[in-house]
Amino acid sequence: MTPLAQIRFGYGPSASDGEAPSPIGPAALLAQISQPDQGAVAYERPGLAERFRLAEEHTADTRRRRKENDTSPRPPDAPGTVMKEIFRADQLAFVLRPVAARHGFAERLANFWANRLTVGMVGSGGLFIEPFRHDVARAHLAGRYEDMLRTALWHPAMLLYLDQNRSIGPQSNLGQRKGLGLNENLAREFLELHSMGTGYDQTDVTELARLMAGMKHDRDGPGIRSAAVEPGTKRILGQRFGDDDPMAEINRMVAMVAARPETARSVAQRLATHFISDTPPEDLVAQLTRSYLDEGGYLPALYRVLLDHPAAWAPTLSKLRSPQEYVAACLRALGLTGQETALPGLHRRQGFRLPEVMLRMGQPIFRPRGPDGWPETAEDWLTAPMMAARIDFAVDAARAGAEGADPTAVAERVLGPLASPTLRFAIQGAEQRWEGVAVLLGSPEFMRR
Amino acid sequence: MPLIHLTRRSFLTCMGAATASGLMSEVVLAGAQSENRLVVILLRGAMDGLDVIRPLGDPDYAGLRPRILEETPDGIPLDGRFALHPALADLLPLWQAGEFAFAHALALPYRAGRSHFIGQDALEHGSGRADGALGPARDGWLNRALTLIPGADGRTGLSVGQERLLIMEGDAPAGHWFPVEENLLSAQGRRLLDILHEQDPLTGPIYAEAMNLASAGGSGKVLREAEMYSVLGQELARQLLGPARIAAFSLNGWDTHQRQGHHLGQRLPLLAQVILSLRAGLGAAWGKTLVLTLTEFGRTARENGTAGTDHGTGGAMLAAGGVLRGGRAFGAWPGLAEANLLDRRDLMPTDDLRRYPAHALRALFGLDRSQLETVVFPGLDLGSDPGFIL
Repeated sequence: MTPLAQIRFGYGPSASDGEAPSPIGPAALLAQISQPDQGAVAYERPGLAERFRLAEEHTADTRRRRKENDTSPRPPDAPGTVMKEIFRADQLAFVLRPVAARHGFAERLANFWANRLTVGMVGSGGLFIEPFRHDVARAHLAGRYEDMLRTALWHPAMLLYLDQNRSIGPQSNLGQRKGLGLNENLAREFLELHSMGTGYDQTDVTELARLMAGMKHDRDGPGIRSAAVEPGTKRILGQRFGDDDPMAEINRMVAMVAARPETARSVAQRLATHFISDTPPEDLVAQLTRSYLDEGGYLPALYRVLLDHPAAWAPTLSKLRSPQEYVAACLRALGLTGQETALPGLHRRQGFRLPEVMLRMGQPIFRPRGPDGWPETAEDWLTAPMMAARIDFAVDAARAGAEGADPTAVAERVLGPLASPTLRFAIQGAEQRWEGVAVLLGSPEFMRR
Repeated sequence: MPLIHLTRRSFLTCMGAATASGLMSEVVLAGAQSENRLVVILLRGAMDGLDVIRPLGDPDYAGLRPRILEETPDGIPLDGRFALHPALADLLPLWQAGEFAFAHALALPYRAGRSHFIGQDALEHGSGRADGALGPARDGWLNRALTLIPGADGRTGLSVGQERLLIMEGDAPAGHWFPVEENLLSAQGRRLLDILHEQDPLTGPIYAEAMNLASAGGSGKVLREAEMYSVLGQELARQLLGPARIAAFSLNGWDTHQRQGHHLGQRLPLLAQVILSLRAGLGAAWGKTLVLTLTEFGRTARENGTAGTDHGTGGAMLAAGGVLRGGRAFGAWPGLAEANLLDRRDLMPTDDLRRYPAHALRALFGLDRSQLETVVFPGLDLGSDPGFIL
């Protein structure tokens, strides 16, 4: 039995799934995207509404303490303390949820889309990142790209991350009164990274920034700060905007951009690069592009094209697993959750220290290098310190979780017929059982998908 | 995060690996490029220049800093106005030898906020924008400089640390290393992994490098932090005696919102340690070396309610090295009277921070004015030479 589907389209076979993984084909993978994942229930995180409430309570609490000169330690249920705890758990869930997920393809897609429309930490604030991952990626991965794009653009995490909150129309009331102006950051990345990538110019960016001035998202939902709205018409990609209600106009702009062939091509290219190859076959990209345009950006249609292409089932594993994918695959291979502490070789209280592990592998959680997200190609994950961190983790995971394991059986489960004769030989050549597993997890084959 | 979890064993062999893999043997190639060396230390968290180089001669200073000065009084007089923080006493001999200097009241053009995150990115990218935004390439100014230095190759630039440093990222190839933790695998297990990766064209070369970082030798004890920075200085010196000419690393822990006296008392000796060990390790080559410490911005002129300082604007750059015209203060001093402060809170910047590294690149590596103003720091007005390089 070849666990190819779990490897290429999920986070690898899990020892918790039972003895051996059952064969999965395109239909079973597609079915995952519309079914709830029982394995991931424990990692459902608090939503935007609760976080807005906590943030407001924290502000009020801080104000009160300052006013009353209250310097006593904050109780464990203080809103600020609760917020910190939520954020800590959000970060862990970035790794732990893929470890626990049973619908690996849906989980991979959620992470793929959240990475294509990246948000990251601004200062020490990352409270809205996890809701973004949910509201944008998970909620729309089985729907249309336009809807995902619109939700991302209006999300408070995005407005904060790419400075849209600070963009004020220079001719608006606020702009005139305080001498403030536009910040093009989000307008530019929306066209460059989130949608078209090519086919627009600086004038389009500036005009779009004029249209977008005043966007906000508070506890009452998305809306417009009228005082910051730039008056007058705007010309974006040859079309006229700004004569109507600003919110409706922005959404009309999103629809126009989502329907552009450049957007179709860019989505297709990224999807194929993520799942299939650093240099995906041109006919696959072309088919995906066509499907996007024919189906109005309905994403399950693209997944179907992807899964029906011969390259999806080629037995050679050519993509390098990202650090998140690699860590999750190691833990799943051994039936670990990632939260263990009392196992051999682990730090007694902190266990696997996953945030530190991720940092060393080059993927510090919620801190992407820029709004273009984590890289999709192997070379970006291959420096000596990052590779050393992978080997160290393979050793730690095997030592902690494979004391009595039979390395050959683990290899059979996680790679099956994909394990090369050399790998089988090497695993059996180890002096201790756990070391055989360490060699398996640290092998170039296991680092791929 | 500072360089924690470091073992002497892995650290030393990391350096040894660089030697063994031929980095140091390419004297011929190295000879093709400048003999000058530049080390940039990024002080993340915004170092309080006003405490480190204390303007005791400014009539308003003592009144702004009562609790900080009570906790750590005085300072070592440098000239009629400025005094060195007592925890930097080890650098006084360098000042006397003309190998240490500073410039006050420097800032990036970034003014739109006082965010560490944006400020550090702007510093490493060399952003000339008030909002601190990065250009489309999202690369670092040291990397852009590397593309212009005649004879530079992938070994000329080196970033040191756990994470990649933006300042060294970009089109020009550059080295990156970090000493890794002790590997628990037995020799046999290690050999088996070697065999598997050797056959793999993608992971093979990187795996070999990674294992060289981790291979055996030495005592394996965790170094105390101070000892670690002195080892860092010595070993970095060895790299700079090889083909490396430009190196960058970060030293964190400068965000002193509270108990500043305590925190600076811990961090400053580490900074002195790393500079002194670099100097010792470089020997005669110290005469061709410049060390710059850069920080994203300064801190408030007035201390806050918790014996610390908050995010400000005008900050200080420290410089050391034999190639420096040191023993003097650079930059125009704006004064600390309330009317002279920016927003009535921060030291008023009197110069663009980027001019100093730009002039350093010009003096040390022969980059010309137009390269510096268009490629390395686009939009910078290089202005007149501050004259801090011999």
